[in-house]
Amino acid sequence: MNDSACFHCALPVARDDEFQVEIDGDLKPVCCPGCKAVAELIRDTGMSSYYALREAPQPGVGRPADDATEWQLFDREDMISAFADLGDDSAEATIYVGGMYCAACSWLIESTLGNRAGIISADVNPVTHRVRVHWRPGNIGFGEILATLAALGYEPQPLVPESTTRPEVTEQRAALKRLLVASLGMMQVMMFAVGLYAGDYQGMDDDMQYFLRLVSFVVTTPVVFYSARPFFAGAWRGIVSRRPGMDLPVSIAVTAAYLGSTYATITHGPATWFDSVVMFVFFLTLGRFLEMRARHRSIDRSIALSTLLPNTVTRIEGGIQNILPASQLAVGDLLIVRPGDSIPADGVLVDGETTVDEALLTGEAEPRRRSSGDALIAGSINLDGMIQMRVEKTGSDTTLGTISRMSERARYARPAFVRLADRLASYIVVAILVIAVGVATYWYFYAPEHAFVITLSVLVVTCPCALALATPAAFAAAGTRLAELHLLVTNGNAIEVLSIATRILFDKTGTLTRGKPVIVATQVFGDVYDEAQCLRIAAALETVSSHPIADAFDVPNNPITATDRRIVIGEGVAGTIDDRRWRLGKPAFAATEDSTQAISAATSVYLDVDGKVVARFDIDDEIRADAASTVQQLLSMGLSIGLVSGDNKEAVQSVARALNIEDHHSNCSPDDKLNIIHSAQDAGQTVVMVGDGINDAPVLAGADASVAPVHGALLAQTNADIVMLGHSLATLTHGIRLARQTMRVVRQNLGWAIVYNATALPLAAMGHVPPWAAAIGMSASSLIVVLNALRLSRFGEA
Amino acid sequence: MNVLYVLIPLALLLLGGAVWVFFWAVGSGQFDDLDTPAVRIVMDDDEKPPDRPEP
Repeated sequence: MNDSACFHCALPVARDDEFQVEIDGDLKPVCCPGCKAVAELIRDTGMSSYYALREAPQPGVGRPADDATEWQLFDREDMISAFADLGDDSAEATIYVGGMYCAACSWLIESTLGNRAGIISADVNPVTHRVRVHWRPGNIGFGEILATLAALGYEPQPLVPESTTRPEVTEQRAALKRLLVASLGMMQVMMFAVGLYAGDYQGMDDDMQYFLRLVSFVVTTPVVFYSARPFFAGAWRGIVSRRPGMDLPVSIAVTAAYLGSTYATITHGPATWFDSVVMFVFFLTLGRFLEMRARHRSIDRSIALSTLLPNTVTRIEGGIQNILPASQLAVGDLLIVRPGDSIPADGVLVDGETTVDEALLTGEAEPRRRSSGDALIAGSINLDGMIQMRVEKTGSDTTLGTISRMSERARYARPAFVRLADRLASYIVVAILVIAVGVATYWYFYAPEHAFVITLSVLVVTCPCALALATPAAFAAAGTRLAELHLLVTNGNAIEVLSIATRILFDKTGTLTRGKPVIVATQVFGDVYDEAQCLRIAAALETVSSHPIADAFDVPNNPITATDRRIVIGEGVAGTIDDRRWRLGKPAFAATEDSTQAISAATSVYLDVDGKVVARFDIDDEIRADAASTVQQLLSMGLSIGLVSGDNKEAVQSVARALNIEDHHSNCSPDDKLNIIHSAQDAGQTVVMVGDGINDAPVLAGADASVAPVHGALLAQTNADIVMLGHSLATLTHGIRLARQTMRVVRQNLGWAIVYNATALPLAAMGHVPPWAAAIGMSASSLIVVLNALRLSRFGEA
Repeated sequence: MNVLYVLIPLALLLLGGAVWVFFWAVGSGQFDDLDTPAVRIVMDDDEKPPDRPEP
């Protein structure tokens, strides 16, 4: 091994000169023939600037799929009509593109597809990971479009057309319109306001003053009734649920100022406050918009769930095999599932024998043997046998669907301190209203002609605008910076929790370890064959198997080929090389005369020739390179670290020893893990769970905050509060530091907002602050809060 | 100053027009992706595929 990383996918490269690609005159190392093909495709289509422009190579992302023939199925008439909207001579479809991370990806996809003959347009939305393709079926096939995406190293998945626009899009469009109306309205009204204030000093015709007030009224009206509508709706919800939020005083101030100004306009009163109203609404709408954008960056849950399932299924009807879209599956269908495919629905195995990998669903790392009559779970992977199954449950009725619903429910049970913060906000709001009423009452008896103006100033000055912006602005800036650090926040509360976390619990497989088997030790018996020969022979035998263990035996350009290869399900593989019969597998399968002791925690596989044992391979899951340093840093940051795993005691102990983790639990079911979390929480600790796998989804949701690495099961990512996009654990420590800094900024902001309000409130209550000054003061305090928050977006830069 | 009685309503009409155009643009999906356009300008689309011998 050496230190170079693949030019395309950033995975480590075994040998520099093994696979190379010439880009801009330089030879770049790549890790495998697949990456070589993708890099050459990108170069040959003139897209080399992709490499210069992408934010950072994502290790392991963008590696090509092994099999391209699957896509040809999508050229069939019924498949196209299932996924595409057909026009007269053109068709349109939406494709979900897995593995897309930055704007360079979207440019690469748009340009590559756009250059193909027959494609009218291809629009990529990197936030939702969707491509909308518009093409002429006469010139290019749907399957070819999908194959092009797959050849670039992405994972395309055609989506069934949706009848309505998705809710996030509708929400963003409405918010944009509101923001624009508020900002244009503010600019106009401020312009008229300058005229009116100048008129106050230099003198102005009554007619002109009346006219300017009237146009201010005309412009302010849509701002109040259109842009500010969400605040009224929120205030009403707060009243109905008896939990008044920030929206209530905002609504009262806006309504009072608007009605008061309108009254003053009609009656030629002394002053209007339309400028205060629009400025107020604009800043609040801007804050809401930024907050919404941060929220939408979360990943689409339903898509993540369905990517575990195959796109197409093979159904048997009257002895004839029919390929159809998975969405058309019905209960009672008889299906054929090939080795290596995932199982599309819950059902019963009818014919055949196989082993299935249910690791994502049950947490069981060992593949399970299944024969006729056994139950099969949707989303698990059929490893080595061709089987027939009968469908019993589809879609959301399946175990996969149930698990996802369960964790959905767990998400809604929020930690107690969030509810406390909500209650506190209600008290502040009630206090503001009580003070305003008190001020109004006092001035009504003391100087009734000033009562309205002063009460309005109090409401505007104490407007929780800076208070309301303090947190979302800091969180939005932190969220953007975290995304740049390759941590995607899908839940606003997560940053707060991360900053006060006292305990980090790690899952083992796929989190602290790579989740991929590697050979950790080889023991050769006798001196006929050396270690390298044994490995090549084993690799030649394993090429027939799709069992996870086979991944450990990967010898590129293997000169040895085995004939007459055979899989003995659940036991091992056999094959003939140079007229000698070789077997590789469990001790009971291959011959065993082994006196040496395998290192603990590892799975041992034996190689024998004509009944005589030749070598033993100890296979284990490799610990991530940066796991030890990350654990060390987290400890030095004052956090306590724990390891919880469903694996056996030896495996967990060896990892815990290697990483210096004292507190570890093995053989944990999801329930056990949840109990460990709950007992830590009962002891007053704030627990962050780091793990992947669908079986962990309820566990992730039960922790105060959860972090999932992206290569894990996609469902787990979407249940996690934070998704790690990179393959480096070190991002977690950056994330915690940034979260702590974020909370410092939030506290500074809240402190400033409180100091400002505490000074301004008495002044306003005494009648020293006119509404326009109150509005300017409010805006300035908001601006300071936002600028302070923006410092976070440069956090950690040199 | 009387010209203001004409100019301000005219400005309001233009404002209304601008809002209408923006609403149309939002409705037709032109603002659905707010991230890519910001970086698209730095990407070269005029790079030509290198000549490749016919296989």
